Amino acid sequence: MALLSRLGASLPLVLLLLPLALLPLLVSSQRRISLSALDAAPADGLSRTIDWVLKIAGVLAIAALIVALSGPYRSGETVTRIGVGAQVSMLIDRSGSMNETFAGKQPSGAEESKAAASRRLLGDFVGSRAHDQFAVTAFSTSPMLVVPMTDRHDAVRAAIAAIDRPGLDYTNVARGLGMALSQFGAEAVQVSRAVLLVSDGAAVIDPKVQEILRAEFSKIHPNLYWLFLRTKGSPSIHDKPAGEDTPQAAPERHLDLFFKSLGTPYRVFEAEGPEQVAEAIRQIESLERDPIPYTEQRPRGDLTPSAYALATLGLLVLVAGKLLEADPRRASRRSSPTTAVPSDEQRLAA
Amino acid sequence: MNEFLASNLRDQRLQALAIALALVLTTFTVGTVSLTRDGVKVLAVVDITGSMNVRDYKHADGSPASRLDTTKAALRDLVSRLPCGSRLALGIFTERRPFLLFTPIEVCHDFSPVDGALDALDWRMAWEGDSRISAGLFRSIEMAESLGTDLIFISDGQEAPPLPSTGAAGFEGKPGAVRGLIVGVGGYALSQIPKFDDRGRETGFYGETDVQQENRFGPPPADAESREGYNPRNAPFGSVAAKGNEHLSSVREAYLKSLAGAAGLTYAHLDGPGGLLHPLMSAATPRPLPGSLDLRPFLGSAALALLIAVFAAPPLLGLTRRGAPFR
Repeated sequence: MALLSRLGASLPLVLLLLPLALLPLLVSSQRRISLSALDAAPADGLSRTIDWVLKIAGVLAIAALIVALSGPYRSGETVTRIGVGAQVSMLIDRSGSMNETFAGKQPSGAEESKAAASRRLLGDFVGSRAHDQFAVTAFSTSPMLVVPMTDRHDAVRAAIAAIDRPGLDYTNVARGLGMALSQFGAEAVQVSRAVLLVSDGAAVIDPKVQEILRAEFSKIHPNLYWLFLRTKGSPSIHDKPAGEDTPQAAPERHLDLFFKSLGTPYRVFEAEGPEQVAEAIRQIESLERDPIPYTEQRPRGDLTPSAYALATLGLLVLVAGKLLEADPRRASRRSSPTTAVPSDEQRLAA
Repeated sequence: MNEFLASNLRDQRLQALAIALALVLTTFTVGTVSLTRDGVKVLAVVDITGSMNVRDYKHADGSPASRLDTTKAALRDLVSRLPCGSRLALGIFTERRPFLLFTPIEVCHDFSPVDGALDALDWRMAWEGDSRISAGLFRSIEMAESLGTDLIFISDGQEAPPLPSTGAAGFEGKPGAVRGLIVGVGGYALSQIPKFDDRGRETGFYGETDVQQENRFGPPPADAESREGYNPRNAPFGSVAAKGNEHLSSVREAYLKSLAGAAGLTYAHLDGPGGLLHPLMSAATPRPLPGSLDLRPFLGSAALALLIAVFAAPPLLGLTRRGAPFR
């Protein structure tokens, strides 16, 4: 029964032709010969057997051909296995300053912008382990869902390949975080989950929004990594501002403090160059080494050759039947009717 | 014995069966032939400005559907119909430029992320309220060129703020360098544009005084002198607030067609949540993709036809030749 439920046809409408397979039961493929009386031929077991074999062969050949044309298959299986990896929701800053170098200039010559460096290094990160799942969210003024959580690494790399295109205006990290968290979906809590925020700046998060984010973080409980691409000369996360220590004066420091207060595992990596970005990504990779269930799709099996094989069998029998068929009319013309011993085929013709 | 076989071999029904057998046997050796099919590699840029929230389409159940929802449905339908191996890149447009979400992704193997990304398109992704269609289109063409793709630009063509009296800036690129499609979205009748507050809740519709009705940058229009309160220095556009229909929206087909003509693109109107495949395939650059044609259905149906003929022909012939039914 389990096997039956996995059978399918790619063109099921073709199966409506199946009643045609009953045709051989109504009409014989053999010659029809007029006899004066059916009683003239003796009842013969062998003839009846051959008759039935031919009928069944005809039914088989027609039915198998119709089934073959409908494209029969055994559906693929989804197997769940356990691998090493994590669900990583990437939140990538697409504000205009990401297109500058780590020195805060427009890139020239061999210089790499912050966006180009993250594109290159994150692209390597995606796909380095087969069973990681990624989601990509971009944010500047507003958050943008780029790719939902998926294990299709080519698609994720295509999304990351777009991050060094010219960016937009602002760094509105709060709404971006909300969308990055929503990428995890509701189910499968036993999976290791991580939010990877890549940005070169921070913004003030409204206290009301802070509460909403705090609730979301405690519900999903992801590991949080902040890859802070620090431009030379700009304040570090750990620098206290000279004047008043308010979120407006030092948004990076206060975002860091907010993240620390969330109660989820949190690490910040302050990178001032591509090498440090690479090092940070290596560390994140080694930290996210938990088992993750992943599904593997077994391809579906094409049953068309089997159907054609059955059709071949039926056709072989039919051809043999025709080849060895007797023609009593011809036989009566060629040889003396008195000496003719009726062969099986001749009797069959009756 | 030989004569007996020879006479049987002349039987037409035997010949038909033998041919059918040969055809079926051929399916085991000649499975598929490889050939190239035409796919596409295309950048879709979707207008997500406010006027795309106008509900002038209908869902299948008859309830109103917004232009953006219909566009999303049409794109998802398109992606599911494109030949495997085709690639789609996606960008969104507001203000005056497109924003690339992802570079081209293959549409069969990676169908689910593409489909999910299309489903997630939302007007809330917009970063500014302006909608300068011509600038957005020309930059989308540049973007498609840099990606090496064709373009589908989907918009209702409503410029906000309205174009100045001198019209839009001209296309400076080479017309036809990027091939593709401009898809006009929206009904032909004017509809109200929904208005949202800063928390994303719908609060009603735009009124006449909510939007800029006339662009008063640049030189005044030719008819300005006849306007009420016209003063060349103090009131070159007249003294009365402009009236107009800019708070209502319909598809600006003439404008989109003129843009398409200038940029060497094809224009198509979106009639519902589908139907983009044909216009795209005829407008886009065909990109040969390795494909294969399964010959087995042809061989199999020929064999089936012969087999059925073998069984069905004698009684049918018998019907026509009433005089000698058993031949």
